[in-house]
Formats: sequence, C-alpha cells, structure tokens
Amino acid sequence: MKGKGRFWAVLFTISSLVLWTGIGLCGAPGFDDKEIRIAAWGPQTGPAAPWGSVARAPAVLAAMINEQGGIHGRKLKHFVRDDQYNPAQTKVVVKELVEKEGIFSFVCGTGSAGGLAVKDYLAQNKVIWVGPATSVKEYVFPVQPYLFSVYPLYEDEGSILTKYVIEKLGIKEIGVVYQNDPYGKNGLDGVRQRLDHLKMKAVAEIPVEATEKDLSSHVLKLKSAGAKAVLMWVHPTTGVVLVKTAATIGYKPQWVASNTLSDFELMNKISGGLWEGIITGAFMLPPDSDDPRVVKYREAAKKYAPEERFGVFFMAGIMFTEPLVEALKRVGKNLSTEAVLKALNSMKNFQGVGPKLTWSPDQHQGSDSIQIWKCGPGGKTILLQDWTVNELAHWKKK
Amino acid sequence: MYGQLIVEGLSIGACYAVFGIAVVIIYKTSEVINFAQGEMAMISTFVAYHILNVYGWPFWYAFIGALFFAVLLGVFIEVCFLRPAKDPTVLGLIVITLGAEMLLMGLASWKWGAEQKDFALPFSFHKTHELFKGVVINDWSIAVFVMAAVLMIFLYIFFRYTKLGVAMRATQQNEHAARIMGIKVERVFSFAWGFSSLIGALAGMFFAARSTLDPAYMMEPFLRAFAAAVLGGLMSIPGVVIGGGILGILENFVGFHWPAWKPIVAFLVIVAVLCIRPSGLFARHYEKKV
Amino acid sequence: MGDHFRVENLSISFGGLKAVDGVSFDVEPNTIFSIIGPNGSGKTTIFNLICGIYHPHSGRIILEGRNIVGLKPDRIARLGIARTFQNIELFGNATVMDNIMLGRHIHMKTGVFSGAFMWWRGSRAAQEEIVHREEVEKIIDFLDLQSVRDQFVSSLPYGKRKLVELGRALALKPKVLLLDEPSAGMNTEEKEDLSIWIKDIREDYKVTILLIEHDMNMIMGISDRVICLNYGRKIAEGLPQEVQKHPEVIEAYLGEEDIFRHA
Ligand SMILES: Nc1ncnc2c1ncn2[C@@H]1O[C@H](COP(=O)(O)OP(=O)(O)O)[C@@H](O)[C@H]1O
Ligand SMILES: [Mg+2]
Repeated sequence: MKGKGRFWAVLFTISSLVLWTGIGLCGAPGFDDKEIRIAAWGPQTGPAAPWGSVARAPAVLAAMINEQGGIHGRKLKHFVRDDQYNPAQTKVVVKELVEKEGIFSFVCGTGSAGGLAVKDYLAQNKVIWVGPATSVKEYVFPVQPYLFSVYPLYEDEGSILTKYVIEKLGIKEIGVVYQNDPYGKNGLDGVRQRLDHLKMKAVAEIPVEATEKDLSSHVLKLKSAGAKAVLMWVHPTTGVVLVKTAATIGYKPQWVASNTLSDFELMNKISGGLWEGIITGAFMLPPDSDDPRVVKYREAAKKYAPEERFGVFFMAGIMFTEPLVEALKRVGKNLSTEAVLKALNSMKNFQGVGPKLTWSPDQHQGSDSIQIWKCGPGGKTILLQDWTVNELAHWKKK
Repeated sequence: MYGQLIVEGLSIGACYAVFGIAVVIIYKTSEVINFAQGEMAMISTFVAYHILNVYGWPFWYAFIGALFFAVLLGVFIEVCFLRPAKDPTVLGLIVITLGAEMLLMGLASWKWGAEQKDFALPFSFHKTHELFKGVVINDWSIAVFVMAAVLMIFLYIFFRYTKLGVAMRATQQNEHAARIMGIKVERVFSFAWGFSSLIGALAGMFFAARSTLDPAYMMEPFLRAFAAAVLGGLMSIPGVVIGGGILGILENFVGFHWPAWKPIVAFLVIVAVLCIRPSGLFARHYEKKV
Repeated sequence: MGDHFRVENLSISFGGLKAVDGVSFDVEPNTIFSIIGPNGSGKTTIFNLICGIYHPHSGRIILEGRNIVGLKPDRIARLGIARTFQNIELFGNATVMDNIMLGRHIHMKTGVFSGAFMWWRGSRAAQEEIVHREEVEKIIDFLDLQSVRDQFVSSLPYGKRKLVELGRALALKPKVLLLDEPSAGMNTEEKEDLSIWIKDIREDYKVTILLIEHDMNMIMGISDRVICLNYGRKIAEGLPQEVQKHPEVIEAYLGEEDIFRHA
C-alpha cells in the first residue's frame, strides 16, 4: 500500500515537471518555411454547437489557397478545437494549440466568455487573433494590440435597423426583446441611441433569458403595449418561440432581428416557415448570393467540405479569415508576427464578402456597417439595403 | 389581456403538469428525482423526428413509435443503471440519473447534431378559436388540455382498478410487504420507469412543437415540471397537476409585469416550498386520498 | 422425514455473528409448530430466511419436496408461504379492506387492459373482482374486523393492525403460514380470541402454521410441536411439555423475564 502510494507520488511529480518545463520550453513560432498554422475554437458539441461550424470553415479557405500553392510558398494549416462553449475548456484548448502545435494566428473564435478568458493569454504569447465570431466591446475598447475585430457592433446594428424601421417602414411603435446579457443589451443600446436621437421612446423593452421556452407573457406584453415592430437580440430558439407564440394569439408585428438570426435557411426550417418576412441585419453577403466571390466559396465548400451546409455561419468563418489572408499576402516572403501586425494595422477599406474593413494602430474595430436582409419564401435571402453605416456611432468620433 | 394570460398560463402549466406526472411516478416508486427525465423525453422526441423526416412515415406512426421507444428506454435505464446499484444512497441514485442524462445528451448530439430542428404536431398553434371576447385558444393548447385530462382519468382508473396499478401503489407504500404479497417489485420498478418515460415523451413532443428540437431543449421544462411536482408534494398526481397550473399562471403574471424576474419564479417556488411546506401545498388532502 | 415443509442445517451470520447456526426441523402438514427462544436468538431471522428476504449461507428449505433457497420473496409467496411481521408491515395509507385485498394479488388474473374496464359490471374483470371480494369479506368476518373494514390502517390500534396483517396473510391462501409474535400488544382477552382463531385457521384453511411466540400460555395451549433456539442454535425440540421442562431451555431463559412462571 505504502509503496504504491510513493510510486504514484513520484509519477505525479515527474509528469507535472515534464508538463511544466514543457510549457516553459515550447511555444513554437507558428510558421516555418512550409506552413503557417492558424486555428479556431468553437462549440462542436453541446447546446451551442450550431455556431460551431464557423470554426470549421477556415479549412475551406485554406484548401483553396493551398491548391494554388499557398501564400508565398507557405501552405495554410487550420486547426479546429471543441471548447463546448465553456470558457474553462476554451483556455485548455487554446493553451494546447499554442504550446503544442504552435499557432501563428487564431481566426474566428466563438463565444464571448471564452474569448474574454483567452485574449490576454494570446497577447502575452504574441499570438494574433483576427475576426472573432462575435462582437464584444472589450475586444476592441481599449485597443488590444494583437486582436482585430471584423464583426460590426450590435449597437451599430441596433441603430441602423431602428432607423430603417422608422424611416423606410414608417413604423413608430417599437418594441425590443433583448437577451439579458451584453449581446442583448448592446443591441438595446443601439435602438435607444437611434430613438434618443429622434426624441422617441420604445413602447416596450423586455429582457429574456436564453434558455426560456415559454414566452407567452412576453408576447402579450408586446401586444398590449401596441408594438407594431419588434426588434430582437436573442438566441435563435428564443426567436422561434417568440414568433410561434405570437402566431398563437394572432399578433403580427413586423419582426426585426439581429444578424445572429440571419441564417434564413435554418431559421425558416425550425420555425415551421414562420421566419418568412422577417427582417434582419447582416454582416456579409448572403450565402445564396450570385456575387462571384460568394459563388467561388460556395463551390469550394462543396468540394472540400461536402458534408457542411453552406449557411451564414459557415460562410462567416471564411469571411472572418479573409483579412488575415490578405495581410499574409501583403507581407510577402519575410514572414513575422510584427510584419503581419503592421499589415493589419494599415488595412484600409479592405472588402471581401464582409463589410469594409479599416484598422489602424489605435482602432481595431474594423467595421461600422451592416446590410439589411429579409427572409423570402423558402428561406431565400432578399437584400433590402446594401452596406449601411451607422452615422451615430460614437466610437468613431474621437 | 389577463384572460389571455390565464389561458396561456394554464396551457403551458398543463404541459408542465403532464411532464411533472412523469417525475412523480418515478419519485413515488424509486424515491429518486430522475434528472434524466428531460433527456429521456428529448431522445424519444428525436426518435419521432427521425421516423418523420428520415423514414418519411406519417405522423401517427412516428408518434406511436416514439412512445414505444420511450417505454423501452425507461425500462432499459431502470434495469441497466438503477437496478445494479446495491443498497444505493439517495445521492448515489441522483448521480446515476445525472450520468444517464449526460449520456443521453451526448448520444443525441452525436446522432442528430446540435442544430435546432423543427418538430410539428398536427395540432397547430396558428389555428385559434375565440373563447370569449378578446381571449383566444389555439389547437395546441386544446390538445394539451385534452391530453392532461385523458391522462388523469386513465391514471385514476389504472391505480384504482388494475392489478399492476394496485401493485404499484402497494410497492410505493411498503416495498417489503409488497414482496411478501407476491408482488414482483422489480417488474413494478421497470414498469414505473417505462410508464414515466412514455408520459415524458408525450410532454416532450408538445414542448418541442412549441419551441425547437435540440439536445438541450428539455432542460428548462424539466426544471418547471420539477417545480410543479414540488408544489404538489412530489408524491401526488392531482397535486402536480394543480401545481403545474399554479406555476404556469404565476410565471405568466410575473413575466408580464416583471419580465426579468420570470426565469427565477420556478427556483423561488422550489426553495419556498421546501422551506415552508416540504410536503407540498396539498399534503393533507393527499394523505386522506390514497 | 416428511416432504411437506422442512428446514435442513440452516445457517446465516451477520458480520461474524451467527444469527442462525445449523438449525434443522421438520413440520408435519396441518400442524402448529412453535419456535421459542430468548430475544435475539434468531427466530425472526429464520422466518426471513424462509420467505426469501435473507439467503442462508448454507442449508436447505424444502417446501413440498422442492428446495426454495435462492428464490425471490415474491416467488416464494406464490409457492404458498405467507407471513406476518413482528413489527407490522402494512400499507398504511390504505383501508383494512384494501390491505387484505392485496393478499389476493397473486390470485388475480386481470391485466392492465381488462382491469381498465373494471367499472363495467358485466366485464370479466368485474366478475373476478366479485369473487375476490367475497373471499376477503369472509376473512374480515372471521377475524371480526367488520367495524373497521373501511378505516385507514394507520389509524387503527396496534392489536387490530396485527389482525389485519394476519388477515392479509390468510388472503394469500398459503400452504404454510408464518406468524411472528402475533399476540404482542394484545390484552389477555384478545390473546384468548387469537388462540382460538389460530386453531380455527388451521382447521378451516388446512394450513401449516409456524408460530413465534413469547406467550407461554398460548404456546402450551395450541402447539403440536415446539423447538427452542438459543444463540441461533436449536437446543430442544419436542412436545410443548417436553421442551418446557428441558434443562437447557430453562437455563437459556434464566435472566430473561421469567415467562415460565405463568405457564
Ligand atoms: N440484517 C441484520 N443485520 C445484522 N444483524 C442482524 C440482522 N438481522 C438479525 N440480526 C441479528 O441476528 C440476531 C437474531 O435476531 P432475530 O432473529 O431478530 O432474533 P429474535 O429471536 O428476537 O427474533 C440478533 O442478534 C440480531 O441483531
Ligand atoms: Mg424476533
């Protein structure tokens, strides 16, 4: 018994020593003459897994680039890790990637809690992170030297959508349903920003938890407040429950939703067709668009990832990676983290399939604009309004 | 507006109640809160989904198929997970059901993926009928009320008049004595799990039709059903039904006036009942009844 | 050796304590066979072994030529062994009638579906129910329980509850009936009634009775044969009077309350 105990103690000490020194020694540079390693984390299992496809998509872009010989002779190698939407797990997988694989830059990265948990670690290890797959103010205000955001702020989206509803649709009675977290509250702030500017007020502002499944009281409240348009920053399931519940009591406002609910093919399916006619914000061209760049990606996805549905989330994973690829191209053969940082910091009006991007050393929020879509019959995308800037955005005026 | 709130509260409450009955049936026999209850219903609903969308069979085949599967699943879990535990503690039993919960959720994610699915019942919530001025009721709610009522009547007859129902009641009251009376207690346990799983699957399909179907969709309804069961004293079937109704209405009123507080109503109810009246609101009423 | 009911070399121990240690006995059909012995001598444990609640570490229990060791309690009940408990085990939240009715459980054929039509008078299930009810009414009459037949068991006095348990065991129509201290908690008058009933039960139900009792009047009055246990071992066997006079028996009871004085 005693001998066994000592054996385990020794084993434990040795293994922890190995681990510890391993941590000290490693930290591979993230690239060599043959390849550049990039990576993304995202929930591949568990309740948030629908968003996990974002993290897998950069592999398609990498395959496209590699087929044409890579970037200045170096191939792109993409790693995906499942963090189950759990920040503790995000830390584990990111550490493992950085210290064992050696990652040059992260792309995408789903989930604000996980992102906040690793952003300082990445900066300390001088690992770049481009295009987080969610908008979080702490990522960009104040400027994080290694972190470059593509995603438009929910606040700007809220402001632009509200303007559209009031000016283009002529609806003045606006209700808001917002998830009771930074995502939802930022959206609400945007609505308020626009309404304050117009000296108006929302008729109802209703918080909701992401897990809630019975929203009758919320819907009745919207109805009794007389909301003719309802803007929502909520979880996709919450959106579906809201729309279904409204249908049960014959309440038919104009529903307007955040870009996180803009995967029309999915939303229309899971709402039993009720998503048709709903307006959303959007941070890139529609996946079913005829734009040649989108067509190119769609074809590539069919070839390299035939099992994936080419929906909004999957295409977004490519879109978030585009600017990194652009920067790598601009840097040329003499690759280094500093050179890529410099290229990213001087990115001006770069446009792939996403919004126009401009980064500078003291501004890493890349975009201020969204498109406005409407869900057509069968989940088809109808473009209502092309890229639109939030002229009220406070973060741009200094 | 209040009339509508009550209708909505009662219909979701009836759904909690039906699911709560499933919780109560297992609690009464095995004396364990089955934390896998929601996930058992979830998997069964996925089976219905699978039959509908992959095999393309008509709805009622899928419905019956899912209920059939639910019974097998309940029996399987009882026989393979609970029965092998020799002289388990309450905590031990809870851990077992939690394990089953995780297993089932993993299984569903692996088989059907985590992306939400649409699951529709033939009772549409688009179709509404005016009850009285300004208050409407939809087919989904009507179906829930009918289901709850039929279930109540069935359970009444079952526990009163059938050999198995009487054996179940006897086992609940005194397992020792039931054995000596020649009652196959193991079979009673298996049956209780199968039966509870079936009722859970019924409720699960109704919940899925209201929201979306995904591996995690039953976690929230389980909490509410549990609250309804606690309100009713965890032991009584009429108790859980009344508890479900109260909870549904309470949640809707709170949700209407203070939406931010709605999510914790169920928690508060559980804590309050356990602190103030652990035997539930209708304890005395129940004791006389059985 | 008769093949009706027999116990051979039965032993069980709990954590080193030999609760029952190599006990054998043989019971003739339709007799009253009593087990006596000081507290903790292993009497109840023998009953628990017989009806399958415990499994012996060694030994055999033969019922009508068949070894029943290892069978589950419900199986043993179906084979024809019924019992009452020293510390009453009833269904407290049910009426006297319901409790005794449960004794009929193993004789019912009604399934879930036919049972659901019980409310319909003409159904087979209802017919069957009527037969069982008659059987139960007979037992209630016999044990003089009419006045409490619809009361909840939990509200009854101790003595009455003992009778309900006896009635429930009878309802199984067993071949062998095990009674564990049935007279405990009864007054002299009730005990006398009980003695008469037990004898009647043997006559009317043609049943073999194993009786654990502390009341020596009762033992002497109704037993056909008696064994005495001490520390799990059988120390005497024979006719009541023989066992009563057995020196080891008298010694075993020294220090215990002197129950022999009343005998
Ligand atoms: N399940 C058990 N676990 C441990 N000891 C037991 C158990 N059942 C009985 N015993 C012990 O066995 C002995 C005999 O008990 P019992 O048969 O109840 O005696 P009695 O003759 O008074 O009925 C006692 O010492 C008792 O403590
Ligand atoms: Mg005893």
